[in-house]
Amino acid sequence: MLVLGIESSAHTFGVGIVDGGRVLANEKAMYKIGTKGMIPREVAQTHISNCNAVISAALSKAGIKINEIEGIGYTKGPGIGTCLQVGQLAAKTIAARLCVPIAPVNHGIGHIEIARIMSGLKDPVALYVSGGNSQILKLSKASRRRYTVLGETFDIGVGNMFDTFARSIKLDPAWGSTVEKTAEGGKYVPMPYTVKGMDFSFTGLLTHASRLAASHRKQDVCFSMRETSFSMLCEATERAMLLSGSSEICVCGGVAQSARLREMLKAVADEHGARFGFAANEFNADNGGMIAFVAERMLTRGAEEKLRDCTIEQRYRIDSAEVFA
Amino acid sequence: MTKPISEGAESRIYPTEIFGIDAIAKVRGPKAYRVPLLDVSIRSTRTKKEAKIMALALSHGVRVPRLLGVSDYSIYMEKIHGNLMKDAKISGKQAEMAGTLLATLHNAGIVHGDFTPANILIGEDGKLYLIDFGLSEISHGAEGRALDLLLIKRQMGVRLYTKFVKNYSQGVPSAREIIKRLAEIEKRGRYQTRTLG
Repeated sequence: MLVLGIESSAHTFGVGIVDGGRVLANEKAMYKIGTKGMIPREVAQTHISNCNAVISAALSKAGIKINEIEGIGYTKGPGIGTCLQVGQLAAKTIAARLCVPIAPVNHGIGHIEIARIMSGLKDPVALYVSGGNSQILKLSKASRRRYTVLGETFDIGVGNMFDTFARSIKLDPAWGSTVEKTAEGGKYVPMPYTVKGMDFSFTGLLTHASRLAASHRKQDVCFSMRETSFSMLCEATERAMLLSGSSEICVCGGVAQSARLREMLKAVADEHGARFGFAANEFNADNGGMIAFVAERMLTRGAEEKLRDCTIEQRYRIDSAEVFA
Repeated sequence: MTKPISEGAESRIYPTEIFGIDAIAKVRGPKAYRVPLLDVSIRSTRTKKEAKIMALALSHGVRVPRLLGVSDYSIYMEKIHGNLMKDAKISGKQAEMAGTLLATLHNAGIVHGDFTPANILIGEDGKLYLIDFGLSEISHGAEGRALDLLLIKRQMGVRLYTKFVKNYSQGVPSAREIIKRLAEIEKRGRYQTRTLG
């Protein structure tokens, strides 16, 4: 089934085209974050002006015409309301115009499912780490129709911690990957380490790092923040894997682009003889491909939504979304 | 070293012998994923804290394995012969005994943090012993205590828990407040505010 998916939950407006689980196109345009972060109204306006160009780019990349599309998917949530609305409106317009079925997709399910399936894992413990989310999940044993949250952040997502810190020490562009670059060659200074069972918390670490930044070398603080937060995630993931009896780990979401995080999780998996997998970076960053990918699985199993019920939900919980695993 | 008896996320348990006593060693091994400074700090802090809490519990009359020694990353303790409560058919009497056991622990100012039948041993002497203080805290608040109750309630089922909580309430002066907090916790969704500690 030829499905077009639209992602617009945060700074990325992405359009993906999928056919039979193969991603034919995955185009995107991003809001330039600068040193100020995201201003919701401005991000949404940027998405509106990029919308047509990105859709056209995806269609020509896939070598198809718009009227060949057989189904539409869009991100229902979670995300920034104004941004979600842009993708929702575009998706509904195309679906109505072409008279094709439409499926609302949970953003997090998009990340996890594409990582899980592309890396060939069956029943992994999934670490989903991005700006807005940091959770450890696993398909529910009984039905495999929902993801169960085994552990999650008590406060902010780990990516949010990096982004906020990047802004506070005026890195440009102000986000996590710049912190990671700055961390190279840094030395470790002690930081607060907060893991409770399979849950974790990052605000204490953020506050402490911001204070240390005044008196320490940037690279040392960035290095220590990265090492501490990733160690916390690894410990919680390791515990979740052992307690749930899984022998597979997969990582997804924006922060999964970090080579260091992947190296550490690989070490966790190796210690227990477990398999470790992740998707290509284009699917870890926000993208339309994963939305099209999940939408196709939904539509081929008859999970289409009536146009008038195609809403957005800023706090769309990942464990309330139905999965077709 | 010999093969571990059991393997957890952060430690392994090995059989050993000290002064002719059957003993076990709980060893927090290095984690390859962590930078060495952080790794050493986490392992030694947690080992010391766990040993300290075990000693405190013991001094307040909580039945826990006797400490035989502590090194940087290992705790040596006497081996209790018996079965884990999770592997046994729990009797009403044993549920009551578990209630008294947790009451004694809470009265000592300690929250266990993982109070499940997997961490209660039924000794060959028929008495109950509490093990694995890896997630324990010194705390006087209702929250942590209520969470201890919540875990055992979920695992025991209603009939046994009723017996359990009867003895627990008789043993703990602030039991009413703790049980009230438990009811609050059970109403909470995961996305609502949760108090740390």
